[in-house]
Amino acid sequence: MIELQGVSKTYQRSQNDKVSALINVSLQIQRGEFVAIIGESGSGKSTLMNIIGLLDVPTQGRYRLDGVDVTEFNPNDQANMRNRKIGFVFQAFHLLPRTTALENVELPLLYSNRKSISGLAHKALEAVHLADRVQHRPSELSGGQQQRVAIARALVNEPDLLLADEPSGNLDRRSAMEIISIFQSLNRDGRTIVLVTHDQEVAQYTSRIVRLERGRIVADEIVEESKVAVAQEAP
Amino acid sequence: MKIPRIIRHSLLMIGRYKLRTSFMMLGSLIGVAALTFVLSIGQLAQQRILEMVGRVFSDATIVIHAGGGMMMGGPRGAASRLTADDIQAVAKEVPGIADWDTQQSVTLPVRRGDATYNAQILGESERWHRVWNRSTSRGEYFDEIAVRSSARVAVIGETVAQGLFGNDDPIGADIQIGSVPCKIIGILEPWGTDPHGGDEDNVVVVPVTTLMRRLSNLDKIGMAKLLINDPGQAEQMKVQIAAVLRQRHALSTGQPDDFSILTATEVHRVIGEIQRVIFLYLPLVAVVSLIVGGIVSASLMLSSINDRIAEIGLRRAVGAYSADIRLQFLLETATTIVVGGLVGVALGYAVAEIAANRMHLGSANPWLAAALGIAASGVVGLLAGVLPALRAARLEPAEALR
Repeated sequence: MIELQGVSKTYQRSQNDKVSALINVSLQIQRGEFVAIIGESGSGKSTLMNIIGLLDVPTQGRYRLDGVDVTEFNPNDQANMRNRKIGFVFQAFHLLPRTTALENVELPLLYSNRKSISGLAHKALEAVHLADRVQHRPSELSGGQQQRVAIARALVNEPDLLLADEPSGNLDRRSAMEIISIFQSLNRDGRTIVLVTHDQEVAQYTSRIVRLERGRIVADEIVEESKVAVAQEAP
Repeated sequence: MKIPRIIRHSLLMIGRYKLRTSFMMLGSLIGVAALTFVLSIGQLAQQRILEMVGRVFSDATIVIHAGGGMMMGGPRGAASRLTADDIQAVAKEVPGIADWDTQQSVTLPVRRGDATYNAQILGESERWHRVWNRSTSRGEYFDEIAVRSSARVAVIGETVAQGLFGNDDPIGADIQIGSVPCKIIGILEPWGTDPHGGDEDNVVVVPVTTLMRRLSNLDKIGMAKLLINDPGQAEQMKVQIAAVLRQRHALSTGQPDDFSILTATEVHRVIGEIQRVIFLYLPLVAVVSLIVGGIVSASLMLSSINDRIAEIGLRRAVGAYSADIRLQFLLETATTIVVGGLVGVALGYAVAEIAANRMHLGSANPWLAAALGIAASGVVGLLAGVLPALRAARLEPAEALR
C-alpha cells in the first residue's frame, strides 16, 4: 500500500540554515495494517505523515502509493489522490464552525468528481454512531463526538488509507478509547490505518510500531499482543 | 458536477458569518445607494432643466439683461440703464428680429380682502405670451392698448389664483398689487417648479408700463427677450445688438458693457456644465465611495482568511484544488458585495423617489441607475475578491494545517 524509498525532507529556512526533518527513510506498509508512528516532537513524524498523506513532497527519494509512483505528482493530482484514497483525522478535529455535522462530513464529497453524493455522509455518520446528531453544530457536540464527526468525514469517500495525527491528543481517556476502538473496528474491516502519536500507550492498540528519532527510523516492530480498546457507554 | 457544488457551498458559507457579511455588504450598499440616488435625481433634474430651457430658450432666442457681468445676476431696476426705447431701437436697426418682449419685475404683496400673497410681479409687453411661449388657460392676455394706456389689468398664475381665490372664479375680480387695484383678465397655464425650486405659477403679469408707472416708479427695464428669424445668425446679431446699445449708452472704447447678451450658445454651454456636474462629478463621488467600500470589504475578507487558515488547509487535505479555494473566496466576496449593491440600488432609488417627490420632479426611471449600480458593484466585488482569493489559494496545505 505504502512504499517509501530513501525519503528525505529538508527545509531551507534561510540561505545557511537547513533543517533535515527526515533522513533517508524507507518504509513499507501493507494493505490492512494498523501502524503507529511514534516519536518525540521534532522527530519528523508529522513530516512523515504529511508526505504519506501527499500534503508535502519529499526532497529526495521515491514514494509509491497503491502501486503508483506519486513522487512527481502535481498539486491537482495530489488533491485527487487525497480525495479518493486518503482520509485524514487531526488532533484539532478541524471541523468547520457554524456548520452541521452532516455538512462537515460532506466536505470531501464537495471536491470529488462523484455524480451523486446524497446519502453518503449520512451513512458515514451512522458508521460512527452519530446518526442522531447529523444536524448538530460542532459547538453542540462533545470532544469525542466532534472527533467522530471528523472520522466520518475521513471515511465518507471510502478511502483505502486512514491517516490520523494524534487523534486522541485533545480528548479525555474515555473519549480516547472510544476513538481508538473505532479505529480498531475499521482496521478489522480491512482499512489500512497509520496513526501518528507521541503516546506509547496509544501505540499499544495498533499492530505495528515505527519509532522515529531525529528524522530516522530507529525501530520498527510488530506488537505481539495488541490491546483491545473497549468503548464504554456514556454514563 | 463539482463546480456547481462548490458554488452552492460558497453561498452557504456567506450566511455562516453574519457580522462580517453585513459589514462587507454595508461597504457596497452605501456607495451603490449614493450612485443610484445621484443618477436618478440627476436624470430628473436634467429632464426638468431641458424642459424649462426648451420652453423659454429656443435656439432662435437672444436675451438682453440690464447690467454687465454675470449671466443671470447683475444690477436691475434703478441701477439699470436699459430702456424699452433701447430695445425698440435694436429691433429697428438690427435685421432679422421676429418678435421681442421687454420685462421688468418686482416682488410685491398681492391682496384680495384679507388674503395676502407675496408674488413676483412681471411687467411685460403685449407680446409676452408669444415671445415667452406661455398662454392663458382661462380668460385672455392684455393687448397693445392696455400696454399703451398703462391699464390696471393683470394675468395671474395658478398658485396666486388658488391662494387668493380658492374655488372662486378670479376672472373679472379685483386684486390689489401693492396699493394699486387691478382687474384680473386671465389665468396662466401652469408651469410648475423651475430647477431652482422656484414656483413658476406664483406670478402676476401686468403691462410693463403699469408696473413702471403705477406699481413702482421705474423708467428702466430688467431684461428683454428677442426671437430671431435665423438661429445661425445669433452670434453675428449679438455683435450688432451690442454695437447699437453701446452707442445709445454712449460707452467709449475700453468701458465695459452695462448690459449682457445671452444666446443659445451660452445657454448650451451652461447646460453642458450642469450635465457634467450631474453625470460626471457627482457619480464620480459615488464611485469613489464605492471603491472605498470595496477596499473595506476586501480587507475584511483578507483578515478573515487569517481566521480560516485551518479551514483552508482542511479543504485542501480533503481534495480541494488551489483553484477551488480561489473560486470559493472570490465568490464569497463578490456575492456579498453584489448583494450589498442590490440593497443599495433599492435604498438609493427609494431615497431618490422621496426627494424627487418633494422637489416636484416627477418619478425617477430606476433602470439605468439600477443597471449601473449593479454593474459597478459586480466589478468592485470581483476586484475586491481577487486579492483575498489569491491569498487563500496560495496557502500550502501542510503549512495551513500546522
